[in-house]
Amino acid sequence: MADFRKLVAVSLLAGLLGGMLLSLLQHYQTLPLILAAEQFETPSTEHVHDWQPMDGWQRNGFTLLFNGLTGFGFALLISASMYWRDQHGYLYGLGWGLAGYWVFFVAPSLGLPPELPGTDSAELHGRQAWWLFAAVATAMGLFGLFLTKQRWLQIGGAGLLALPHLIGAPHPEVVHALAPEALQQHFVVWTSINNAIFWLTLGVLSGCLLRKVTF
Amino acid sequence: MKTLAASTAISTSKFLPGFSAIVLGLTVVLGLGFLQDANNYLHNAAHDGRHSAAFPCH
Repeated sequence: MADFRKLVAVSLLAGLLGGMLLSLLQHYQTLPLILAAEQFETPSTEHVHDWQPMDGWQRNGFTLLFNGLTGFGFALLISASMYWRDQHGYLYGLGWGLAGYWVFFVAPSLGLPPELPGTDSAELHGRQAWWLFAAVATAMGLFGLFLTKQRWLQIGGAGLLALPHLIGAPHPEVVHALAPEALQQHFVVWTSINNAIFWLTLGVLSGCLLRKVTF
Repeated sequence: MKTLAASTAISTSKFLPGFSAIVLGLTVVLGLGFLQDANNYLHNAAHDGRHSAAFPCH
């Protein structure tokens, strides 16, 4: 399993660097929007009795940890895919990063846009299930469309890309958000930009690091 | 010139390391993005990250 250890090492480095970049972008672009939205939350809408990280270095530290670890997890998926297909280098990395962005951000967000705290949503488990369904169907769809040669698999892939959106994500009957609409729109735009930069960076880093490793 | 669709088959020796990496990757991502604990510790620590990554939160 020497190859597995190399994949872990590559992904850890790519994930931590990508996570640091994402945290930096979020610190200036999305965190201020989250903090602003929380001003509209009343004590009854948040769980004040539960432990939560203190604003400042503690809160930012946990977000950095979250971004670094999810970066590691996502980079593992990218580097394993490239390893399987004997690919390396920044160009392939860019392609896989784009695919990851589509699978894990764009497709789920089309049904369930990024939300600020204090937004009423449908029941959590239903949304999580749809999010997972959208990601899996999109991953399989992209595979069928771009990585197979048989026409019926390509058509099936295109169908799978559309399927989650034809079914539709669970939404509450009445949408109610505490934060102003303009704040929410800013949040969607900036999370989309930040996550695109994050995924493309993650792909390029994984591709370049894989080039340095001999399997 | 090698195209993207040129090699769909995975050699046997490469299957297990890649598969293990994917299982580990999915475990890390889904654990961080989806787990809810009774005391909300994990949820509150991951809160800003989950919102910014468009994971369903709350």
